[in-house]
Amino acid sequence: MFRFTFAACACMALALADGFTFNIGSPVASQDFQSKTAVFVFRTQGCVEPAKPQVSARAEGIVNGARQSVSLKVVTTAQPNVYAVYQTWPRAGDWIVSLQGTCGDARAGAVVPIGPKGFIRELSKFFPRPATPAEIEASLKTVPPGGNK
Amino acid sequence: MNGREVSREVIEACRAGDRDAFRTLYEIHKDRVYSIAFYFFNGNSEAAADVTQQVFLKLMTSISQFRGDADFSTWLYRLVVNTCVDSARKHKPASDGPLETLAAPEDHEGAYARTQTANSVRAAVSTLPPKFRIAVLLRYFDDLSYEQMAEALHCSMGTVASRLSRGHKLLAERLKAMAGGKGKS
Amino acid sequence: MRHVASQLAAHIDGRLAPASSQQIQEHLRTCERCQAEYVEVKQGMEWMDRLPLIEAPASLWTSIEAGLPHHQAPRRIPWAWLATAAAAMFAFAAYWLLAPAKAPTWEVTRTENSTQRISRIAPGQWIETSARSRATIKVGAIGSLDLKPNTRVEVIATQPGEHRVALAHGEIHASISAPPRLFFVDTPSGTAIDLGCEYDLKTAADGSGLLQVSKGWVQFEWNGLESLVPAGASCQIRAHAGPGIPYFDDAPESLKLALDQGALEKILSESRVRDTLSLWHLLSRVDADARGRVFDRIAALTPVPQGVSREQALQLDPDTLKRWREDLAWTW
Repeated sequence: MFRFTFAACACMALALADGFTFNIGSPVASQDFQSKTAVFVFRTQGCVEPAKPQVSARAEGIVNGARQSVSLKVVTTAQPNVYAVYQTWPRAGDWIVSLQGTCGDARAGAVVPIGPKGFIRELSKFFPRPATPAEIEASLKTVPPGGNK
Repeated sequence: MNGREVSREVIEACRAGDRDAFRTLYEIHKDRVYSIAFYFFNGNSEAAADVTQQVFLKLMTSISQFRGDADFSTWLYRLVVNTCVDSARKHKPASDGPLETLAAPEDHEGAYARTQTANSVRAAVSTLPPKFRIAVLLRYFDDLSYEQMAEALHCSMGTVASRLSRGHKLLAERLKAMAGGKGKS
Repeated sequence: MRHVASQLAAHIDGRLAPASSQQIQEHLRTCERCQAEYVEVKQGMEWMDRLPLIEAPASLWTSIEAGLPHHQAPRRIPWAWLATAAAAMFAFAAYWLLAPAKAPTWEVTRTENSTQRISRIAPGQWIETSARSRATIKVGAIGSLDLKPNTRVEVIATQPGEHRVALAHGEIHASISAPPRLFFVDTPSGTAIDLGCEYDLKTAADGSGLLQVSKGWVQFEWNGLESLVPAGASCQIRAHAGPGIPYFDDAPESLKLALDQGALEKILSESRVRDTLSLWHLLSRVDADARGRVFDRIAALTPVPQGVSREQALQLDPDTLKRWREDLAWTW
């Protein structure tokens, strides 16, 4: 029992120390007019100075039954550690955006499904590491029909 | 000075590497540049995006060479002409690649008819020989003088006039042929 | 006889010297071949008038920016957008100072049945569409304004630093690509201030209406009362009373009804996390007693950030409310 409690406390301590996460929002959250046409914006949290977060994004999709993957340019905004994601993937098909981030040794990941009305917050998932291929495939299955705007 | 001309201050700021000034310049000219490329390549939005990107990148990297003795629009549209013509030489015929047909609005049948007409005109423009096509598009999408067009097209004013006359005549002939000789709808 | 086919476009465009133009005119009176060519060149030009301007995709800037020299992901200072607005304003101010004294005019394309007519409109002039017509105004170099049928708009200012129209009644769709606060729409019950956006604005003759934002965000103001309306949200405009509480279009119907009726209990019970947009606006529009309950409901839906105290929020401290709104925006 003692060993279990100690292990649980150690895990919690690790989780608290590694509080590096993503947070997603609609473009208004960036307070930057240049982001108005972004699909969504995201920010990193919990990256303690002097480390600087490194972020990247890919669009993962299925178009006419074929799997596609598109590297995305993540654009900085007027706010520190806030980035915009623009649609540069095809309009047809089902798509999600996979985010990856590093902060020193800490990692973060997210999968954000894209629907006909934009990003779907309720179906987005966040991880303390990059999403696995299985998690990406599972997220793709949650995308509602109707393409993406 | 019309609303699309750019002040010397913005150009100087671009020369100094001011990213925001360049963004301003881009916002002022982007739709016209994109439209010229779009119609030059028969509605191929990928080609249009590619040309637009090349034009603005070339513009930013070579803006230090802009001497200011010609006006900015002439210099910009010379870049547009050169990039369209070079791209046409290098790449596949305009009929390949994803073509974006102008989307007809869901309501108002008049608007639908206008869109269909625009699509026909677009297709006919794309069949013009490149030197007539670019002249016709330049005249329509930007209000350059014949003198400015001559500079952008690297030819004399007489040649500009001749290309515009022949280009528009060919366009009318081809649209008449598309409509089965029934004339303008 | 020397034919004039190669000069016909220049003649039609009015680019020839008067003497040359006169000679061509006289030639055309007697030369059937050139007459036929004249008709075809003119027809070709009229065909070109059917081609619409195509808007460059918004994502194109991203690719261009990526290719600019020494591009990396620099850390921008928090108020960098002010520098962008200042550079644009400076460019527009330089244009304004150098421009001739006459105010710029905007191009208007009016469409009725299958006929299009292009004209220009200056400050102080009206445009009104009928039940069967529409119009599009090119708002300087920053965007466009579509007028639906039965709409009346007056152009107020066409200066580079201020593009302003007044919507008397009807419906418009605005699509603006410019730094914030360069485009304004006055209505009888307030002013829509573009903060970088695309939106639909409907106004009835009595001043009531509806603002629906599809891209970016819009601020609607009337006599110090402000509503911030982001993409996916709408805001009722009350006749001579300004903006109502904004709400997301996907909010429960029961919440929208409760906002319309001012039914506080229902508003609080029906709100989702996203509806903190509505709740935040409600804070400054209810009395002090109710304000505490609104605060508590927001706090129950999403954690209150550091630096936002209940006491200062209930006192409607501007900095506190601003900080809270910036944090809440991440849930909208």
